[in-house]
Amino acid sequence: MTSTLPVAAPAGPGQSPGPGGRRPFGKSVLARVRPWMLLTPALLVLAVLLLWPLVRVALFSLQDYGLKEIVSGERNWIGFANFVEIFTSEQLWAVVLPNTVVFAVLSVACTVVFGTAVAVLLASLGRVWRTIVSSAIMAAWAMPAVTGTYVWVWIFDADRGVFNHVLQALGLQDAPVNWFTDRWSFYAIVLLNVVHHGFPFVAITVLAGLLGVPKELLEAAEIDGAGAWRRFFAVIVPQLKQIFAVVIILSTIWDFKIFAQVYLMPGGAGSNRDVLNLGVWSYTESFGQNRYGFGSAIAVLLTLLLLGITVVYVRTILKEEEL
Amino acid sequence: MSTATGTDRRPVRTSTAGGTAARRRGSRRPSAGVRVGKGVAVALLLLFTLFPAYWMLVSALDGNAGRGSSFVPAEPTLEHFEFVLTDGGFDVFLRNSLLVALTTVLISSLLALLASVAVARFRFKLRTQVLMLVLVVQMVPLEALVIPLFVQVRNLELLGTLTGLIVVYVALALPFGIWMLRGFVAAVPVELEEAAYLDGATWGRMFRSILLPLVAPGLVATSIFGFITAWNEFVFAMTLLGGETQNYTVAIGLRSFFGQHSNDWGAIMAASTVITVPVMVFFILVQRRLASGLTSGAVKG
Repeated sequence: MTSTLPVAAPAGPGQSPGPGGRRPFGKSVLARVRPWMLLTPALLVLAVLLLWPLVRVALFSLQDYGLKEIVSGERNWIGFANFVEIFTSEQLWAVVLPNTVVFAVLSVACTVVFGTAVAVLLASLGRVWRTIVSSAIMAAWAMPAVTGTYVWVWIFDADRGVFNHVLQALGLQDAPVNWFTDRWSFYAIVLLNVVHHGFPFVAITVLAGLLGVPKELLEAAEIDGAGAWRRFFAVIVPQLKQIFAVVIILSTIWDFKIFAQVYLMPGGAGSNRDVLNLGVWSYTESFGQNRYGFGSAIAVLLTLLLLGITVVYVRTILKEEEL
Repeated sequence: MSTATGTDRRPVRTSTAGGTAARRRGSRRPSAGVRVGKGVAVALLLLFTLFPAYWMLVSALDGNAGRGSSFVPAEPTLEHFEFVLTDGGFDVFLRNSLLVALTTVLISSLLALLASVAVARFRFKLRTQVLMLVLVVQMVPLEALVIPLFVQVRNLELLGTLTGLIVVYVALALPFGIWMLRGFVAAVPVELEEAAYLDGATWGRMFRSILLPLVAPGLVATSIFGFITAWNEFVFAMTLLGGETQNYTVAIGLRSFFGQHSNDWGAIMAASTVITVPVMVFFILVQRRLASGLTSGAVKG
């Protein structure tokens, strides 16, 4: 692919018209500058508000940065002491990391499998029912994380929640149970919340892909005697590889950094140390304990973890096709 | 491009046994067992999908909410809504959120559109790197940004203001917007653009008359995402607005109904309904365009 050079280094006038001839005006300077004119505003915003803060959070993580330093602006370098403290902390290995990683893997798996199943169901429905069901799915998608979390908290509320109420009415338990104190039941509720909120994106995106699979392919497979499962895995899945890659990337990225869904649950804002995940730990250490340096170090770890995952996925995408 | 994209209702050329109605669904007429199974699946799915929203509404309308649990309002009343929208302060929170979300959408959609045209339509040096950057910044966790941005906004003396929040939200909505719009722009066949050039159109004219109308569904989708991002965002609102109650957005306004020992669940659910319903209605109304925007091509067979 011929690449026209950016403004700073104008290409030799002799070479550009030929190879650049894909575009009718490939020879003009304007055409070469245009992509950068279009990109500049967005890149500026990203640089100032996302990249520069990322650099700063890395710098903070190497300092003993507290309220005093925020006010005075002075630096208090302590090297990797924050990281040493994190990695030697029992909290990280026993609680925080499992709560983050195991939970993310589980929720991505549940979200993608369930979402795909729903997409297949939707694709097999008639027009009317498809509209009804996909409207309902949209409603679940539209539910904000904050209000969604509050509704789940209310449903599972210890004293008056409908879940305890129904269990008692059915005679399955004698007294109300507080589902938020135990780590496993706490995260089971978070999982329910995250899957409920996350599967619509998967379902709608995969459905769009399913409807785009050429009917001829499926008919040919059917004539060749392939059953429904075989048709799904041998014809549809390869066709939708790209869509699945995107859906899995985005779900992973979203599920690794869930915050409100944990923070807003009873005990989730730091008072129950058993349910901390990386994000909430970082936030409560920073804004609760005023240990901004230590919190930044945790945030850096979370970022590196996500970066690692993203790099793996990006490579997979790049192998599949040109961006 | 073949005619196979979308839910086409064109008669299938090689129509074998089975009427067109059955062919349309791409399979034979399903057996009774399959149909019952499908019906049960749909019912369970609807139950799972809608129950939280239903329960929110029931609790919001029930004067008895928090004392008994019944599946229909025991004492139907609007008192929770009245309380929330007057003494609860949600009239102010709603106005703040609307202002923040609309401004965010306007700015971020414009920036995202320009950038996505650049990456989808031009081959230039560093293009792949720019795309990588956009993809990678999407995965940055908010918790990593909230500390430095808090310090930055504090230094600019914008803590507690809506301006600080809007600036941050534009940045948050932008990467996903670019990523999404890029697909929509790329889906517009280059042939259409080239036809416009052959007819003597300049790049600007082509952008206005060809690209913009065809990307419009994508813009709608991107705007929705931007709006929802800003409307729902919680961490930055909580951190940057601090104690400035009069500037609270709806997402953090909710927290005022939580008591030390008991929560006013009727009011919380009424406020949640007020926050959720507009977004939900909006979402459902545009879903057709959203779905068709994701699948449709511009070249009709």
